[in-house]
Amino acid sequence: MIYWWVEHTAEVQMEIEAPSEEAVFTDALRGLGELLADDGGGEQVRREVAVDGRERAILLVEWLNELVFLAETEDFVPEDVGRIQLSDHGLVASVCGHRGSPRHVVKGATYHRLAFERFGRGYCASVVLDV
Amino acid sequence: MSEPAQTGVRGFRPVDDVVWELPAAARADMRVPARVFADRELIGQIAADRSLEQLQNVATLPGIIGAALAMPDIHQGYGFPVGGVAATETPDGIVSPGGVGYDINCGVRLLALPLTMGDLDRGVEALVHEISRRVPVGAGHGGALKLRGSAFDRVLVQGPRILLAEHGIGTAEDVEHTESEGCLAGADPAMVSERARVRGSDQLGTLGSGNHFVEVQRVAKILDAQTAEAFGLREDQVTVLIHSGSRGFGHQVCGDYVRMMDAVHARYRIALPDRELACAPLSSPEGRRYMAAMACAANFAWGNRAVLVHRVRESVARILGPEVAEGTRQVYDVAHNVAKLETHDGRQLCVHRKGATRAFPMGSNEIPAAYREVGQPVFIPGSMGTSSFVLVGLPGAMKRSFGTTCHGAGRRMSRTGARRQITGAELRHKLEAQGIVVRCPSNRGLAEEAPFAYKDVERVVAVVEQAGLAGRVAQLVPVGVVKG
Repeated sequence: MIYWWVEHTAEVQMEIEAPSEEAVFTDALRGLGELLADDGGGEQVRREVAVDGRERAILLVEWLNELVFLAETEDFVPEDVGRIQLSDHGLVASVCGHRGSPRHVVKGATYHRLAFERFGRGYCASVVLDV
Repeated sequence: MSEPAQTGVRGFRPVDDVVWELPAAARADMRVPARVFADRELIGQIAADRSLEQLQNVATLPGIIGAALAMPDIHQGYGFPVGGVAATETPDGIVSPGGVGYDINCGVRLLALPLTMGDLDRGVEALVHEISRRVPVGAGHGGALKLRGSAFDRVLVQGPRILLAEHGIGTAEDVEHTESEGCLAGADPAMVSERARVRGSDQLGTLGSGNHFVEVQRVAKILDAQTAEAFGLREDQVTVLIHSGSRGFGHQVCGDYVRMMDAVHARYRIALPDRELACAPLSSPEGRRYMAAMACAANFAWGNRAVLVHRVRESVARILGPEVAEGTRQVYDVAHNVAKLETHDGRQLCVHRKGATRAFPMGSNEIPAAYREVGQPVFIPGSMGTSSFVLVGLPGAMKRSFGTTCHGAGRRMSRTGARRQITGAELRHKLEAQGIVVRCPSNRGLAEEAPFAYKDVERVVAVVEQAGLAGRVAQLVPVGVVKG
């Protein structure tokens, strides 16, 4: 599993390659967590998250936007995924993290150059975040 | 040796010294030409990222009029380029949430203090520090003014005017000296999601992060004495420039409607080269709903900047005295990211400005009476450590750019690229060595906004002046900055 950042003049573009669809969502959370990370040390919390979307690419945007919402409204800094279950119309997940001071404002995950595709034996995805 | 003037850049050909154009025939799906205001140096920088391709994508939108336009500070965005302008016909041309962006009505507001830098003397550090104490920065919430229910909705509908009436925030002159008097008509809170309310309810008076800032400045040079006098600016005067937007509230509104329009554009037979250009006809239910929700976010942003001004005046009162705070005037407030219904050449159009500033000339009824004989003020923030400019809208803007000019220096380097070249600590020392007081909780965030990550603001401003879009009035230099 891996994610990395592609140069973008103003925003940040995250690329992901992973062996399964679930792993794409897990890596996307870790990438966002890197952007939001503070110096840690806050209360550890677990959140149940449910988002809907019939298309995987849209679901990826909604997943990231849900985590942005939690960061902004509950000071939740995501760290990892405990459990994730995908269906044809959405996902439910248990997300681990801590309460802290999310470092960076991520305004939203965008549809620009959005992709979620099969790649070899796994999947790849691309999403641009407005920061 | 420079290239011949006729040489194109990615198919764009020079029309004159500061205009480059790609004809509509260049791509089968373009409905109008793509046109960039830039000199040869800037067009070279612009061509280094994908912004020209994004501008061509804008030229494909249904109902677009004239040309897809780009200001000299254009850079790659998502969907629309930042620095892009698109006017669509009403009632059946499209409106695109991505053409406004996530930070709806991100904008700048300039305050003029009734003292000179000489009067302020060593008070700069204390003032900047006090502002940093009173203005929450970074992600999320923390604004002292928390509004719920109908009190919150009244801000969405009326903007700063209701903050003045119900909370004593701002002055009547502040409201008058705000683009559209801080209130877009047609705002309907019923078109805004509950999640947007949750995000926005305690974000009035918060700065955010990224390129948002409060900057204390000195008027270094007056470049147009008559207009500067009308704007109430004089040499060596202390000014404060505030850059912020609609915060999480606006971000949620944009996200909600991009998703909604992405789901329906096939219904309206709209084919798009980029999904972030998601759009619907202005006359459609989705288009009307977006315009009503976007107006709420625009009014929220003007309310946010009004509360930020209130915090700055509180800081000025504590450090410099209440009489200085009372004499602190709002010169004007301009929006950068918005879609507005405007009349151009007798036609009502929907003008999308994404990282671009309205710049109406003298005589316009849309600008305050006090400025009507000179034109609308426009503020062009530089980058930390460089000059900012006060401009005035010129008649050429109405002829060439739907009454629009640039909004800043424009990024030319990615955030990671900036961090590779300098650390936040190094930049902080460098700025302090220039005599600029810096308050920023994040060294990483500071490095990402390094001055060299931006284009040369003086060159950008020179282009819009040469093109007749806006003229230079005053040059401002930073003496202190609070960043998110």
